[in-house]
Amino acid sequence: MTHLQDELKKLKDSLNQMSYQVMNQLSKSVESLTKFDKDLAQEVIRNEKRINALELEIDKECEKIFTLMTPVAKDMRFVFATLKINNDLERIADYAENIGLMVMSLEKPFEKSLLEELRLEEMSTTAKSMLADTIAAYSSGNAQLARGVFTEDLIINDIQRKAKLIITNECKKDIDNIINYMDLWSVVRRLERVGDHITNVAEEIIFYLEATVLKHSGKVSPGKDRKNIKS
Amino acid sequence: MYKLESKNLNLWYGPKQALKDISMGVDANTVTAFIGPSGCGKSTFLRCFNRMNDLIPNVRITGQALIDNINIYSRNVDVYEHRKSIGMVFQKPNPFPKSIYENVAYGLHIIGENSKSIIDESVETALKQAALWNEVKDSLKKSALALSGGQQQRLCIARAIAVKPSILLMDEPASALDPLSTAKIEELIYNLKKEYSIVIVTHNMQQAGRVSDKTAFFYLGELIEYDNTSKIFTNPSKEATQNYITGRFG
Amino acid sequence: MIKRIKTNKARIKDQLFKYFAMLCTGLCLLVLALLLIDIISKGIGRINWSFFSNLPSRHFDESGIYTALIGMVSLLFLTVLIAMPIGIMAAIYLQEYGTKNRFARIVEINIANLAGVPSVIYGILGLQIFVRIAGFGNSILAGALTLALLIMPIVIVATREAIKAVPNSLREASFGMGATKWQTTRNVVIPAAWGGILTGVILSVSRAIGETAPLIVVGALVYVPFIPEGPLDQYTTLPIQIFNWTSRPQQGFITNAAAGIIVLLAFTFLLNGIAIWLRNRWNNKVKF
Repeated sequence: MTHLQDELKKLKDSLNQMSYQVMNQLSKSVESLTKFDKDLAQEVIRNEKRINALELEIDKECEKIFTLMTPVAKDMRFVFATLKINNDLERIADYAENIGLMVMSLEKPFEKSLLEELRLEEMSTTAKSMLADTIAAYSSGNAQLARGVFTEDLIINDIQRKAKLIITNECKKDIDNIINYMDLWSVVRRLERVGDHITNVAEEIIFYLEATVLKHSGKVSPGKDRKNIKS
Repeated sequence: MYKLESKNLNLWYGPKQALKDISMGVDANTVTAFIGPSGCGKSTFLRCFNRMNDLIPNVRITGQALIDNINIYSRNVDVYEHRKSIGMVFQKPNPFPKSIYENVAYGLHIIGENSKSIIDESVETALKQAALWNEVKDSLKKSALALSGGQQQRLCIARAIAVKPSILLMDEPASALDPLSTAKIEELIYNLKKEYSIVIVTHNMQQAGRVSDKTAFFYLGELIEYDNTSKIFTNPSKEATQNYITGRFG
Repeated sequence: MIKRIKTNKARIKDQLFKYFAMLCTGLCLLVLALLLIDIISKGIGRINWSFFSNLPSRHFDESGIYTALIGMVSLLFLTVLIAMPIGIMAAIYLQEYGTKNRFARIVEINIANLAGVPSVIYGILGLQIFVRIAGFGNSILAGALTLALLIMPIVIVATREAIKAVPNSLREASFGMGATKWQTTRNVVIPAAWGGILTGVILSVSRAIGETAPLIVVGALVYVPFIPEGPLDQYTTLPIQIFNWTSRPQQGFITNAAAGIIVLLAFTFLLNGIAIWLRNRWNNKVKF
């Protein structure tokens, strides 16, 4: 294995570690909300520092590889994609922290039935499975796995749309507690944003693997309008 | 303690001063790159450490060049004995017009090794370290000149390390080679630093970035900046260094 | 327009020169061919086994070149034995060790000049030093020493050129390993230059082979009915034998001379051929 390959492998390992941690943060934050577990929320907030440190570390590694090792072609795309994925993952972790902070500020738990109706768990598990798929795609170099993420994101978007109606109705019914419903809505919004970030990650992976730019090109049906820039 | 060190080293070719008051230290088991434009003295400085400049008439040196804290220019240092402890690889592959085996064994003959079995073993080890063994193990008796340029340079590296020096001086070892051979040599340098302290002169800045731990930038016979390679290449402290590595020189 | 005329003129000149050069070359080849044809047609019939194995004789059809051939080969052998080590060492000293000052330049020019000195001068020198002062008489040793003097400058110049052609990077590589000057010279420089050195030596021998004048001066005999057995024996050589035969009035001896010339030419061609072969072989082996 060459020196560069060595460094790339290290970088890959770091990013994988980062994504597992982010995935944990995400599921823990939603769990802390559904179970009203402030300890868990606290843990999520504490962990955020570690994730930030890891992000900086990966940034630095990418910078080092770019300046010292002049990667080209697929290696270059890999480092480039990693740098951007790193950024997306960090944002996802931020959302998880935000959810954790929100849970900390809650005085009483939300009604179980409402949470179930909003399908927050399902959003979280879908996001988790998307993230797991992208991690697998990144590690194994399987672009097909990354493409699957785009359809999964549709589920999340759908849940958000429905959640909007539900929360609007709740607000109408219970105007006094509107602030709580706003919080709940922000959770839904954040999870939806998480889904978007994960699709970004998937795009980066496809860029790394196939040198194809999917961004702003109707990624939902990637087969149709993919630009033919094969590596 | 530094492995290699220079203290206020000055060097003149006749009336022309080629090195100006250079003081720096190189740690053991690291790769140090010397970069700078042509004629800035980096090769000259490199050659001070195995006293190859002695071969050129009208060279005058003041100051000290130390290896393991011993001034190699002091009177009681035997230049031939001294050179035996330092390997050198040159810009152009320069294998002797002898067999591959004889090339690698050359240094062993010079240090007076006569045992056939020890020589055989050292030749094999050196060729393996130089990542050449698999390509030549069946043709050790063939002329070294039949090898490709990249192979020849790896042979020269094998020849240099066969006598187990602790220091390897490389004067633009890949500048005459194609990219693939260059990559192999760089890989080799990266792997060799576990056992050797390596100083490499290079015109190729990417190369310096890829192989070295520390980088020294020379300009007009002066040492402008000497720091960790990642520092030099991401945030050099001197304007001149910045200009040189970004290609905005002069 | 003007340019066009000029190019036409130049082209005509170019053509003229080409034909002129061809004519000169053709003339040279023609003369050589005539000479060869003349010699071969006269002498080829005389070449048979007995011509090689017979001693010289008063009867042209019984006389052969046995003694002359053996004399010549032993003379050349001795000459090379003497001239080669001394010449090579001198060249190595001049090229590798000697400092490049004014004295060295004067020595250099003089050696080149020595190569141009008429060979009979060497003969006179040899006569005085080796035949008379050293007391070798008209022995094969005195002849060899004289010829060695004659070819020494050629050997030195050729060796120096061969050594000069060895790239400095090889010397540096050797010095870099801690080799001394002598180790470098012996293990690297001489082996790398060996092809060139040998070529030079062989070419100098092919010059020595045809030398007659200095040998006559130092006393190679015209008539030797025995082959030399030691360096102090008397001898004759092929050119002298030929010279002797051509001065005889009988047509038969002229034929003998022609046959002798064929043998001598064959020898020269052979040596030159070996020199070329060696050079090519070395060039292929030693590409710097």
